[in-house]
Amino acid sequence: MHSSLFDSLSIILKRDLMIAFRRSSTYITPLIFFLIVVTFFPLALGPQESLLSSLAPGVIWIAALLASLLAVETIFSEDFRDGTLDDFFISLEPSFILVFAKVMIHWLITGLPILVASSIAAIILYLPLDSFIPMLLSLLLGTSFMSLLGALGAALALGKSAILSAIIVLPFSVPTLLMGTSVITSSLNNQDFSGFLMIMGAMLALGIPGLCLLTVEALLLNYE
Amino acid sequence: MIKKWLIEMGSPPLFYKWSTKILPWLFISAILILGIGLFWGLLFAPTDYKQGDVYRILYIHVPSAILGQSIFMFMAFCGFINVIWRAKISGMMLKSAAPIGVSFTLLALVTGSIWGKPTWGTWWVWDARLTSTLILFFIYAALIGLHSTIDDKTKADRAVSILSIVGLAIIPVIKKSVDWWQTLHQPSTFTITSSPSMSPDMYQPLLLCLIGFYLFFALLLTLNLRNEILERERTKNWVKQLLGGVG
Repeated sequence: MHSSLFDSLSIILKRDLMIAFRRSSTYITPLIFFLIVVTFFPLALGPQESLLSSLAPGVIWIAALLASLLAVETIFSEDFRDGTLDDFFISLEPSFILVFAKVMIHWLITGLPILVASSIAAIILYLPLDSFIPMLLSLLLGTSFMSLLGALGAALALGKSAILSAIIVLPFSVPTLLMGTSVITSSLNNQDFSGFLMIMGAMLALGIPGLCLLTVEALLLNYE
Repeated sequence: MIKKWLIEMGSPPLFYKWSTKILPWLFISAILILGIGLFWGLLFAPTDYKQGDVYRILYIHVPSAILGQSIFMFMAFCGFINVIWRAKISGMMLKSAAPIGVSFTLLALVTGSIWGKPTWGTWWVWDARLTSTLILFFIYAALIGLHSTIDDKTKADRAVSILSIVGLAIIPVIKKSVDWWQTLHQPSTFTITSSPSMSPDMYQPLLLCLIGFYLFFALLLTLNLRNEILERERTKNWVKQLLGGVG
């Protein structure tokens, strides 16, 4: 019985990944957006190495937050419009699986490209090599949490303007931003950063059940 | 007995009737206590030996900051009830409390800023408490913005309820993380938290002001809620009869 849950999860993942890869813009756009935002900071602030490397944690994290919000409204809107979502709620599969799969897809097409691009961003912002691993770890945990929050925002603002879901999500992403930048800044100052990572992990662990269930609740609002 | 009363209060017409009875009492007690507290605090409380008369803004600043936070707790509580039991009135309560909460939070920010200029020499400091109050203000704005975009009022209530539950879970995390962020970036430039404890003749009017603010909130909430009930139930018979029976 429990294998059927993973079956339905993998079916949704396969289908959505196929759709995403047919249109390369879905995973290229967040990546390019991220790099453009990062590039604009040296252009605006001047190219001094010391300045840039001290600002790098914040710049990378702000760009990552914005880029991961870019594709948020596409999480459910397409499926809502063509009726796939209706089909899913009629079927007997638990709706938690659907939301969880959608979050994973969103992370794969935005979080993962950002993770890859962040290394390039770190190089052009003169972030020391020792801070690469903390940066990648913090982005791994943080962008996953952002995908969960983004799914809730997208479900609440389904069929509304894209900027609305961003406004809903951004105030709630403050802890992620603070913890994420603290991880990188601590590693720059040779301080222990594991505590911040643990809190980000705890937020993710609570967010997966909590935010997914609330997202289901928010989606069901459209079917009353 | 209590259960029966709670269920009755969940029905908009019964709540409306009950609130008509308590409204004058609420009005009198709110005006009286808030009036006494403010007069006492602003005119008769002793002048602070360090800050002079400027400190008197505290009698508005502190209660509004406390109210801004406790109204959010109240909203999240209503949101919980609304999501779990689908009680219509709790959704209306949530919606009516939001503009009051955001006003108190804004008032706390503005009075704090006015207080900060003469005492700290600046309108704004990136202190942990100020920052988390500002973020609380943004969260209120997100809740109100979300409510206004959804046309179906009951659905809008539920959507905002869901978001307020997330808010309740995440606000302590925001407070803690802002605290850590503050200590990481700049080790305390000033300490407002460890100021010498207040003398009783300054503290008593503050307590009265706080109670007065709570009563004032209850009054505003009841008035807002009554309007909300009338607006949403305007097609129902009891509203038509109440407003002079056109239907």
